Amino acid sequence: MATISVTKSPARARAFEISADEAKRLPWLLLTPGLVALAVVVAFPMLYSFYLSFTNYDLTRPTTEFIGLQNYIKLFSNATFWQAFGRTVLFMTLAVNLEFLIGLAIAQLMAKALLGRGLLRTVLMMPMMFAPVLVGFQFKWFFNDQVGLVNNLLYTLTGEPHIIPWLVQVPLGFISILVAEIWMGTPFMVIILEAGILSLPTEPFEAAEVDGASGWQKFRHLTFPMIGPFIYTAMAIRSLDLARVYDVVSIMTGGGPGTRTELIWTYVYRLAFTGHDYATGSAMSYVTVVVSFLFTFFLFRNVIRSRWEGRE
Amino acid sequence: MSNKKMTRRDFLKYAGLASGAAMAASVMGSLPAAAAGTSEQPTLFQFPHIQKKEFEGVTVRMLAISGANYDELYKIIPEWEEQTGAKVEFVFKGDGFQTDKRLVQDFAAGTVDYDVCWDHSSFFSQYVKADGLEPLENWFTDEELADFIPRLVDATRRDGHLWVIPRHFDISCLHYRTDLMTAEQVPETWDQFKELAKQLTDPAQGIYGTQFAGKEEALSGRFYEVLIAEGGQLFDEKWEPVFNSPAGVKAASMFAELYAAGAMPPGMTSFVWEDVAKNFAAGIIAIYSEWYGWYSFFQDPSSSKVAGKFDLARQPMGDGKIHSGWAGHHGFSITKASQNKPAAASLIKWLTSVKGNELEAKLGFLVARQSVWEKIIAEAETSTDPLAKKRLELALLQAQEDFKTPPLIAEWLPMSNILYPILQQIILGDVEPQKGLDDAAQQVRDMMAKAGYYTTGA
Amino acid sequence: MSTIGYAKAGRRPRIGDYLRDAVLYLIIFIFFLPVLWIILTSIRPNMEINTRPPIWIPRELTLDSYKILLGWPTPEGAFGLGSNIPFGQYARNSIIIATVSTLFSLTFGTLAGYAFARFAFKGKNGLFLGMMLARAVPGIALSLPLFVLYARLGLSDSIPGMIITYVALNVPFTAWLMDGFFRAIPAELDEAALIDGCSRWSAFLRVDLPLALPGAAASGIFAFLTAWNEFALANVITRTPASRTFPPALYEFTGQFVSDWRGMCAMSVMMLIPAIIFVALVQRQLMTGLTSGAMKG
Repeated sequence: MATISVTKSPARARAFEISADEAKRLPWLLLTPGLVALAVVVAFPMLYSFYLSFTNYDLTRPTTEFIGLQNYIKLFSNATFWQAFGRTVLFMTLAVNLEFLIGLAIAQLMAKALLGRGLLRTVLMMPMMFAPVLVGFQFKWFFNDQVGLVNNLLYTLTGEPHIIPWLVQVPLGFISILVAEIWMGTPFMVIILEAGILSLPTEPFEAAEVDGASGWQKFRHLTFPMIGPFIYTAMAIRSLDLARVYDVVSIMTGGGPGTRTELIWTYVYRLAFTGHDYATGSAMSYVTVVVSFLFTFFLFRNVIRSRWEGRE
Repeated sequence: MSNKKMTRRDFLKYAGLASGAAMAASVMGSLPAAAAGTSEQPTLFQFPHIQKKEFEGVTVRMLAISGANYDELYKIIPEWEEQTGAKVEFVFKGDGFQTDKRLVQDFAAGTVDYDVCWDHSSFFSQYVKADGLEPLENWFTDEELADFIPRLVDATRRDGHLWVIPRHFDISCLHYRTDLMTAEQVPETWDQFKELAKQLTDPAQGIYGTQFAGKEEALSGRFYEVLIAEGGQLFDEKWEPVFNSPAGVKAASMFAELYAAGAMPPGMTSFVWEDVAKNFAAGIIAIYSEWYGWYSFFQDPSSSKVAGKFDLARQPMGDGKIHSGWAGHHGFSITKASQNKPAAASLIKWLTSVKGNELEAKLGFLVARQSVWEKIIAEAETSTDPLAKKRLELALLQAQEDFKTPPLIAEWLPMSNILYPILQQIILGDVEPQKGLDDAAQQVRDMMAKAGYYTTGA
Repeated sequence: MSTIGYAKAGRRPRIGDYLRDAVLYLIIFIFFLPVLWIILTSIRPNMEINTRPPIWIPRELTLDSYKILLGWPTPEGAFGLGSNIPFGQYARNSIIIATVSTLFSLTFGTLAGYAFARFAFKGKNGLFLGMMLARAVPGIALSLPLFVLYARLGLSDSIPGMIITYVALNVPFTAWLMDGFFRAIPAELDEAALIDGCSRWSAFLRVDLPLALPGAAASGIFAFLTAWNEFALANVITRTPASRTFPPALYEFTGQFVSDWRGMCAMSVMMLIPAIIFVALVQRQLMTGLTSGAMKG
């Protein structure tokens, strides 16, 4: 995998009196089991599909030829792909920010709750306990135009039938999948952010109280900056999860109707598996993964910097 | 894998469902042979030839379609096991599309570990292309094949080989509500159908004039059959896509116009077979095309509000003076990788025997053997269900004259995969019909070119 | 957790605090609604499902869908695709795969996290990034090559194959969290232990590991839930009841022509139970672990 050589000093063990030789070998020894698993399950498939992305591999054709960069070249003029790409970025941005805002509000309330915090937390974590496929099935059904929960709710509230095709209309389809994803993702945000709030020291808050600071001022000038690392972590992890969003959307809309809710991975799936054109699908995967990689790099650059470098 | 527990009533109810299953059941029209069938054959084919315990110790592994009453047929397997000494093991059961995906992946990855697989007229070309199937002409004599509806058998011949032994087929016909319209109003053409559907739409009563399944192959297939009726074709003889013809534009425009007029439920682009059938059963649809297989579901008052309130009619014609008739059939194949081909062939013969077909005919399937057809039509004479005989005769007529399978090429599903999202865009008004179809044709051409269709002189 | 004083600033609760809690309960109830609806659906008569106008309060409760799923006798007329589903086998597979893979992810992730936290070595940053990147690759991009590989290795449709897969999926995040937990433990403690004559190994076992345990619980929850819910890879790797887990089995409730919503809901509720028990047991450690410093840059 990528190497970003930022290690300046020769390898040395901090805090331990061990030989330089051991200090070199030991970390790798410790890392080996995890890396072996990753090599089998992630690295090998990625290398294999990297190779396939330069061929005309088709699921139903026994012979495969090397065709160079053709798949990639065609990709750049594929409007559907780039639209899906843009939509995925939009989806990610909206979802991660909304999840953050809602999550922060809940976390703030939760951290201050007088009783039942453990129970509330368990209940709140239930969406995390549902398989994304199941969430997809359920929300597809909630948003059904004829007998869905949402339209039925409107029926009961207004007294007359509403037949709103949630999964079909623009932008309702996009909103529907967004709602499902937010429902599923917010609890994670809450957990991390609540941990952040709970880890805050009490003294600054007591001092602020003495100074007569309002709740908002305390939040704005104390809580928010102090839980920065937690916010950062929660948003980074959710962004990575959202970059590969597939299960929920594929079941709710399959990227349709037309291409109205098409995201990268629903498009890749349709092309690679339903359309048998695995080679083009692999090329798309690669472009997407490279972008994700750059994204990951920028996201975690800060983490890395603050984690190890600053301390040495 | 499954210990099925169903009550009798539910069993009957779902029997109907599954037989609808014919995703596109098809087949060729020579059912007439069934009616005209001579009486020489039946006894001869009553049971396949099985020598006692000839496969002792052999395990035949099978990839089977499942769901609804597809599984009922597998109940005759123990008898075969008893006679031959072989064992049958189900490697996988799933619906048609899951089974198809599994087959495609296994053939691609070389991970076939079964002897017998489910197969379908719309799908088998993919498996042939992937070099996954065993030609069957060596395992079945002409005599053994004579009882099958010839068009069914012919539909699975490719490159001089026979690949699938047919089990049952399906085709669609108009289902209409007798309480909302009269038999005189039954449309002869798709133009009349369109006007009628608009006219029958009644938002106050929650009635939509019509509906179609609105995604995946279900949508591409409907477009295909209207296209044919209007005198169009998907491909010309050189495999160039030509569905962006005026006939194609007219067909696609009909869907768009019906949607825009509110004559279809607004969520139709997410409907698959189950949704459309449930809508009809819920009484919110006036007239639409449906597979025969759902019949008993619709006639069961406990599952349907339209029981006794609907009738059947032939699919409309278009400007091409051709009746629509998208059709397909299910069957069984033997994998090339099988190590137990004799036993696999024997099992297939048993599953498609008269015994198997009779069992499935009772469940409402339109079966493959002519001798069984004669029998069920005769039995329908005395049925208490007023539509029983009409239904079979209509199916027979359609099978004789209207049946049309999608092109028998491995690229049918990839093509549908390109086509249906664009059809959805046309229906929703996101793109003009001509522009959308031109676009689709270009993409299909690219796909066909990549698959090697246009290389000259190779 | 009582040591964390943010919530109680040393004063008695006021009316406003109760109102604030009421708002919280309401929000959490809204999040809970879909779950409630799924539970209700699983115990309704089939006729009440997918109706318009809606039937909100079930008129009659029935456990038929659960009985069908579990293969218990049901009254005449009860139907469900659940009867085709070898629930017991799926439950066994899911529990074994999720539990064992969680234990391995924790072990491997802890070792890796320790390496990241306590050593400087060449390529460390790149490695860290690479591991995070692994999380950005969706299952569908891995599925086909992985399937081919597993077929060759004889791991296809096997429980060990599934365990390896989930260990790999969970190691990166676990390693990251554990790294944070280890770094929150002052290195001086290690030094002290070493000076007292402990070997490195026993310093790790006696000093670092016990202190990092709440962190391990936190990581364990995330690893467990990932393994419990993963679909895309399970769908390709597991092919028969021998190794099939719950998420791909959910698809067995939706055929091409019929689906059984109630049965699917019943299985979802059954799936929820072990997860709830697990989370309820460890959520306290989860909070202790996460607050202990894993995230503090």
